[in-house]
Amino acid sequence: MEKELEHKFVTELEANQNIVHKICRLYTNNRDAHNDLFQEITIQLWRAYPKFRGDSKFSTWMYRVALNTAITLYRKSKRRIKTQDFEGVSFKISSEDYDDTVEEQLKLMYAAVKDLNDIEKALVFLYLEDKNYKEISATLGISEVNSRVKMNRIKVKLRNVLNP
Amino acid sequence: MDELELLKSKWQTTEQEFPVLSFNDIYKMLLKKSSSIVKWIFIISIAELLFWLTLALLVPESTQKFIEEMGMDTVFLIINIFNYCVFAFFIYLFWTNHKKIQVTDSVKTLMKNILKTRQTVKYFVIYNVGTTILLMIGVNIFYYLHRDELAAAVQKSTTQYDAVPPEVFTKVFFMGQIIGGIIMIGLVLLFYRIIYGILLKRLKGNYDELEKMEM
Repeated sequence: MEKELEHKFVTELEANQNIVHKICRLYTNNRDAHNDLFQEITIQLWRAYPKFRGDSKFSTWMYRVALNTAITLYRKSKRRIKTQDFEGVSFKISSEDYDDTVEEQLKLMYAAVKDLNDIEKALVFLYLEDKNYKEISATLGISEVNSRVKMNRIKVKLRNVLNP
Repeated sequence: MDELELLKSKWQTTEQEFPVLSFNDIYKMLLKKSSSIVKWIFIISIAELLFWLTLALLVPESTQKFIEEMGMDTVFLIINIFNYCVFAFFIYLFWTNHKKIQVTDSVKTLMKNILKTRQTVKYFVIYNVGTTILLMIGVNIFYYLHRDELAAAVQKSTTQYDAVPPEVFTKVFFMGQIIGGIIMIGLVLLFYRIIYGILLKRLKGNYDELEKMEM
């Protein structure tokens, strides 16, 4: 029974691992920390898994546990913050529609998002994942109106960072 | 187009480059131990509860004898029973709060529950430090009022003060009480600064950020 559950869990996580990777990339600055956070999220997901009833999609349920781990449970060590071996985000842009300026813009935008605080980052992340405000507010635990207001403020903030 | 919208469109249509973990890589992670902040808070809180519990239980025999000599055993018995009831209540609170911590809650609820658990232990320590201070003040006033019997009682129950000449006994005894008390309270406060500094700064900051959004 336990083995069966383990197998099911790992299969689902393997299929959805990109969500966790995206969060890890957003909240850490180097490969070690990325792997460390990925591992902690996996442990937390596995612990909570027996209570996962399947009334929501596995991926939806994952967002909450993964973000909670990244924002609240994970302990960043100072040693890790200093080193930085990520160039930022790297999109697999196919060579035919490769565009230098687009690539540059994306990099700048991503860097600006990474500079936001933990909570703002979570909001932007969910927004980028195309979650609606109802879901965003339920994940963060604030009202829908307030998450909308905050998101608009973040948009203004990002615009000002990129076009001073 | 807005840069954020550009990022959003690319975010969804274009794959980002990440290391791909195999079934076995992930499977191995299940066997690893968590190093989450909740685990650390739990360990530290239990250590604190145990620390104060053993401190209350470990009364040296000489002190016991001394208390009897001073005729305070009934008072101490009542204080102890009351104390253990309060301890039990705090441990119960701590446990139910800890149980409430669920990683599947919303970010805000999770943070609130963690802070609440920590708060319970903080109150427990404040209670202990407070009662210790009160008890020390009360007992020392009592000692002072009965200072003649004090010297005799100390002599009967311990040899610690044998080297102290009788003329300065009262002075030495009370200085010892005061210095000991200050050192102990200083250590407890230092411990708190360190723990709050390391463990809870980021969590508290993020929680305040969420609170600010609701205003």
